[in-house]
Amino acid sequence: MGKFNDFRSRIADDLEIPNDALSDNFNLMMHGNKKVIIENHLGIIVYENNLVEVKAIEVNITVKGTKFKIEEINDYKVIIKGNIEEIIFKKE
Amino acid sequence: MLIFKLMSLLTGYVTVRLRAANFEKVMNLLRKKGISIWDVERKEYDIKFKISYEDYRKYADTIKETKMEPLNKKGLIYNLTKLKVRKGFVLGLFALVVSLYVITSLIWNIQVVGTNNITARNIIKALENNNIKTPISHTSVDPKHLETILYKNFENFKFVEVYIEGSNLIIFVKEKEIEKADIKKNEPTSIISTKNAIINKVIAKSGQPVVKEGDVVYEGQTLIMGIVKNKNSEEFMMVPSEGTIYGKTYYNFELKEPKFKDVEVSTNKSKSVYYLHLNGKSNKILSDKSPFENYNYKERTIQIPILSNLTDISIIKGTYYEQMIKEVDINEDTAKNTLTIGMYDDLLKKCGKEARILKSSLNFSDDDNYYYLRAQIEVIEDIGTKVKIYPMPETEQEQTTNE
Repeated sequence: MGKFNDFRSRIADDLEIPNDALSDNFNLMMHGNKKVIIENHLGIIVYENNLVEVKAIEVNITVKGTKFKIEEINDYKVIIKGNIEEIIFKKE
Repeated sequence: MLIFKLMSLLTGYVTVRLRAANFEKVMNLLRKKGISIWDVERKEYDIKFKISYEDYRKYADTIKETKMEPLNKKGLIYNLTKLKVRKGFVLGLFALVVSLYVITSLIWNIQVVGTNNITARNIIKALENNNIKTPISHTSVDPKHLETILYKNFENFKFVEVYIEGSNLIIFVKEKEIEKADIKKNEPTSIISTKNAIINKVIAKSGQPVVKEGDVVYEGQTLIMGIVKNKNSEEFMMVPSEGTIYGKTYYNFELKEPKFKDVEVSTNKSKSVYYLHLNGKSNKILSDKSPFENYNYKERTIQIPILSNLTDISIIKGTYYEQMIKEVDINEDTAKNTLTIGMYDDLLKKCGKEARILKSSLNFSDDDNYYYLRAQIEVIEDIGTKVKIYPMPETEQEQTTNE
């Protein structure tokens, strides 16, 4: 799964098309340190006021900070709002 | 996100509380089922979030299984579903909307602007003859067709514009002015007096002057005659008269100015009214119409982003500024200046710009309420105007010779 995903990611890069169109890689966007948008996620693992852990393909994303609120969560994306202090990627 | 929240207000949403130890699991379960949730807030022992009303109904079993408790339901769709029980109210509302639509789609009044009452009545009669009677629906009135009817019926109309404003049919009319007949240079003319005056100077370039300096002349009296004797024969011939006659004219004025005047002073209080401008009509949506007794009114249009670009919908904000009426004493010097300026303005209107003032006597007086100005102005001005003269008809000439 991992190698095939990397391969698709490479092809997307070579063809200069958006990576998430071919691969299952997550897409992470930040608006300052107040908002983080994670696309292509696989679910929430932990949700606390000062910590949110999101599962993505091959990696778990841990967002640390304070006053966390999930603005929106659906099948495709999760939007986390709050004072973001740290983002950690843990390989599974 | 704002548009999403606005849409959720329309489609309806339910705020749900979940008391469970592993609510992350429930959230993932909802995600897998394709249920979108938003505004997730973590409390100490529970979480609160919102889901759409549609999903709430669709996945009622899942929601029951996961022991979620609904806290409140909001939104237009949810409110509309509640109306299912109140059938009479819905029927009444529907009847109101329909009657409002019918009433506003009719023309109730025909207003004629720019002409006198008699012509206005004739216009309305002409329209009635063409089956345009109030009330009539907007759709059965074609302004261009009405303009054609009016042009056909009234030949003295220079300009006609017909348009619908709310429930009024406005007919704007401009009548033709009677044009003054141009006098050509070679046409025989006489010069007559336009005013009662004492002749001051006669400058006759062509024609026979019939008045001299010091003569008193009245309005309409001939000053230079366009009939002169031919030098070579005894016959009279008609010529175009040319010349300037200056006369002394007198103007009397009696003007008054009040000692106390009511002046409007702003109180810094204001109130706003909002109208929804839709399809050329403005409907009030917020506040009273005229909250103050005395006020100044200003209006400005607020464009709604996107909506105003696509449609004709906009919001009009009207602001009423309260005005207080205060009585102010008018100073004597100010009153004198106002009266004098007013008098000279009147004089200019009566005698034209080229006139010269010879003498002026101004008498100011006052009583308890007013300042008065009594004035007599002596002016020298050109008092002559050309009039066309015509040869006498032959039959009359013959009659006079026979006599």
